Amino acid sequence: MSVLRIENLTRRFGGLVALSGVNLELRENEILGLIGPNGAGKTTLLNVISGIYLPNSGRIIFDGKDVTESPAHIRCRLGIGRTFQIIQPNQNLNVLENVMVGSLFGQGAGLKEARRKAQEICQFLGLSRIERDITRLTVLEIKKMEMAHALATQPKVLLLDEIMTGLNIDEAREVIELVRKIRDQGMTICVIEHMMRIIKELTDRVLVLDRGEVIAEGLYEEVSNDPRVISAYLGEEE
Amino acid sequence: MRNWRYIVYIVVISLAISFPFYAGVHPIHVATTILSLLALALSWDILLRGGQLSLGVSAFFGIGSYTTVLTHLNWEVSPLLSIVLGGLAAGVVALVIGLAVLRLRGLYFAIVTLALTFIFIVIVRNLTDLTGGAIGKLIPSVIFGGDPAMIYWLTLAIAVATIITSEIFQKTRIHFALTSIRNNEIAAKSSGIDIFKYLLFAFVVTAVIQGVVGGVHAQRFAFVSPEESFSLTFTILPLAMCLLGGSFSTLGSVIGAGGLGVLAEYLRLMMPRGHLAIYGLVMVMAILLMPKGIVGTIREQLVRRKTASS
Amino acid sequence: MLAKLRQRDYQILIAFIIVAAILAFWRPHVLISGLQRGSLYVLIALPVGIIYGILGILNLAHGEFMMLGAFFAFSLVTLTGIDPLIAMLPAFPAMFVVGIVTYRLTIKHVVRAPLNQFLLTFGLAVMLAEMANLIWTTRPRIVWVPYAASSATIGPITFGTFEFVYVAAAAIVLVGMFLFLTRTRAGLAAMAVGQNPRGAKLVGIDVERTYMMIFSACLAVLGPIGALFLIRHAIFPEVGGPFSLRAVSIVAMAGFGNLPGILVWGIGLGLAEAFVRSFRGWGGWADIIFFGMIILVVFYRSYQRRVR
Ligand SMILES: Nc1ncnc2c1ncn2[C@@H]1O[C@H](COP(=O)(O)OP(=O)(O)O)[C@@H](O)[C@H]1O
Ligand SMILES: [Mg+2]
Repeated sequence: MSVLRIENLTRRFGGLVALSGVNLELRENEILGLIGPNGAGKTTLLNVISGIYLPNSGRIIFDGKDVTESPAHIRCRLGIGRTFQIIQPNQNLNVLENVMVGSLFGQGAGLKEARRKAQEICQFLGLSRIERDITRLTVLEIKKMEMAHALATQPKVLLLDEIMTGLNIDEAREVIELVRKIRDQGMTICVIEHMMRIIKELTDRVLVLDRGEVIAEGLYEEVSNDPRVISAYLGEEE
Repeated sequence: MRNWRYIVYIVVISLAISFPFYAGVHPIHVATTILSLLALALSWDILLRGGQLSLGVSAFFGIGSYTTVLTHLNWEVSPLLSIVLGGLAAGVVALVIGLAVLRLRGLYFAIVTLALTFIFIVIVRNLTDLTGGAIGKLIPSVIFGGDPAMIYWLTLAIAVATIITSEIFQKTRIHFALTSIRNNEIAAKSSGIDIFKYLLFAFVVTAVIQGVVGGVHAQRFAFVSPEESFSLTFTILPLAMCLLGGSFSTLGSVIGAGGLGVLAEYLRLMMPRGHLAIYGLVMVMAILLMPKGIVGTIREQLVRRKTASS
Repeated sequence: MLAKLRQRDYQILIAFIIVAAILAFWRPHVLISGLQRGSLYVLIALPVGIIYGILGILNLAHGEFMMLGAFFAFSLVTLTGIDPLIAMLPAFPAMFVVGIVTYRLTIKHVVRAPLNQFLLTFGLAVMLAEMANLIWTTRPRIVWVPYAASSATIGPITFGTFEFVYVAAAAIVLVGMFLFLTRTRAGLAAMAVGQNPRGAKLVGIDVERTYMMIFSACLAVLGPIGALFLIRHAIFPEVGGPFSLRAVSIVAMAGFGNLPGILVWGIGLGLAEAFVRSFRGWGGWADIIFFGMIILVVFYRSYQRRVR
């Protein structure tokens, strides 16, 4: 059963084709890895799925509904949650309040309920000292707060854009465990990641983008031996 | 600590209510003016919390003034009701303008709201039959028979209502919505916030407040004219007050209005022309030297001291 | 920023040309006075567009700075008795200095902080107009020179010829600016700064200095423009306000950062206003044309954004 289906999606920025005829299917309760060299269009794909950009052509079917034209806030409420590669925490709110925003608007909770849910989620992710000013957080704490914020919207599908970047090995391991824990709660997850080790360890299935096109799809072992994938990555290292 | 706060509130409110009993006519007039500017400053700040810069305070003020006077004159509506209608008219204009421009926001919004004042000056000047053109209109009698104490209490009620509105905006989910929008619109959208809806709501509510203040002003002085009613003063003074006192908080505008309002009275007497230059200067200096305003700066110091000691 | 005219601008340009052709037959004086007026708008809006493109600041005080330039020329003319055209020369460096001082004291501290800087320039506009009020009072001032009232008659229509100086000046500023930005090292550096300040810094461009020079240069041209303005208009402290408002509106209509669009929209606005003025009894409404235009543009663009 697919939760999210993307058909023939194309998105251009002026002359640049950031996504070209992308097809993708997210199966219920899987963890899909989205990889590709820098500028391949991974973030753009997430942006189109979450409604930040509208596609030039193609369709997005979420949970059986066509959401291609829906505005971003509606998609969030329907159950598409996400984090941002370039994080934008709200400095005017403390950690708990930042997380509360997710449940307040993502699922329309009242203030009290939102606070309770936010506390629960913070605890679930091991995020302590939640009344703190966010300017004094560690990188790991900020990443956890971003995840908590997305989780608070109670998504069916969670899109994570490079959440491990900037973390050391131990911290990344902790986050991997958390992502697994989140999946065990019944969520479907799509992660963008650069470190192959993490992809190998974490994901059920991998999709490779290069210059806006899907060049490979399948199990990590299959994909990592695909000559097109190897050349795409070699091309980047030159 | 908490109790202290309530005691302070009660003392301030009783002092404010009883003010006409121990003050002379002139101080009552000054206080009335300061209270109306306070309401304007605070209403401007409420929208700023959502990252939207309105330079059209005087437009809504003027729309309120004109609607009040015209409905009072032409339909013989009672003064108080005419003031309410003034607020509604301002709200309707904000709704229409907001529907058109609040999808693009940012600089577009600032430019359009600034232009609004000039547009209404042109409209009012040209609809001579209705508005009296460049000369304006007079009301035969001042509201409450010109009783300064009654006018003061009416203005006080409006200022307090604005303060309560501001606090409601600060204490409910609207606060979370507006501050998220100001922080980052894309992140806000992705958290399920309907940006357009919240900004439109804030824009209309603040325009209603500005229209009501304009209506009271018109009833108090019993006349409207394009230059007086749409004077940029009603944009510049509130902005300077809010920026000096500190934006994004209720207390900031209150303190800014109090401080600058008293100063404004002296300035007006000492510098009959060009005194607005001082407010321009206050705005510029506040932005450059004290972007958080008096309240924000003091609060920051307190927090720093607290964290240093703990 | 300079890029060729966008496709949409072409369509608008063509629309304007068609309108102009119709006007040429129907109301020829509208075509002439609209072109003259529109050129003045372009003259003032272009520097605003350049400052926006490079510093990221929308200067709401530009009309007030022009008013300052005009008063400078006025003072020179009344004190020394020189011709206002000569006063253009010292007005240029004088406004350049004003630019440097303004930049150093204020603009420098808010570059790329959108809300604050717009508010700041609003504060500056208020300060400038009110200080002029303190110094020169609100009394309108004029200088009289014989050539200002010169006119020509072609067939049935008579029109002022001096105003063509605005058209010429607009052409000169446009071409000069284009050559500067595309042919000189400093201009290319400025463009690079506008596109990517951090990258420009990396390749060794002095970004701070570029900001200051561009800002000051854009104010400096207001000196001569102010002197030219003085020749044909009465000046008073609030004379700049409508020009500031139209300038930022034109920049917004063109789409922030689209310089060629400023030419199209500036002239278009001038024509539209002249057209409305040509109807007896309706002239007073000409001043709200720009508002109608910007609302339409904003509406259209927010619709576009959804479709895109
Ligand atoms: N808003 C935008 N405007 C113009 N180009 C963009 C925009 N967003 C992304 N791009 C371009 O689209 C391409 C894909 O970018 P992105 O999706 O961020 O890549 P990735 O996340 O895979 O590194 C890049 O060439 C980028 O420059
Ligand atoms: Mg990316």
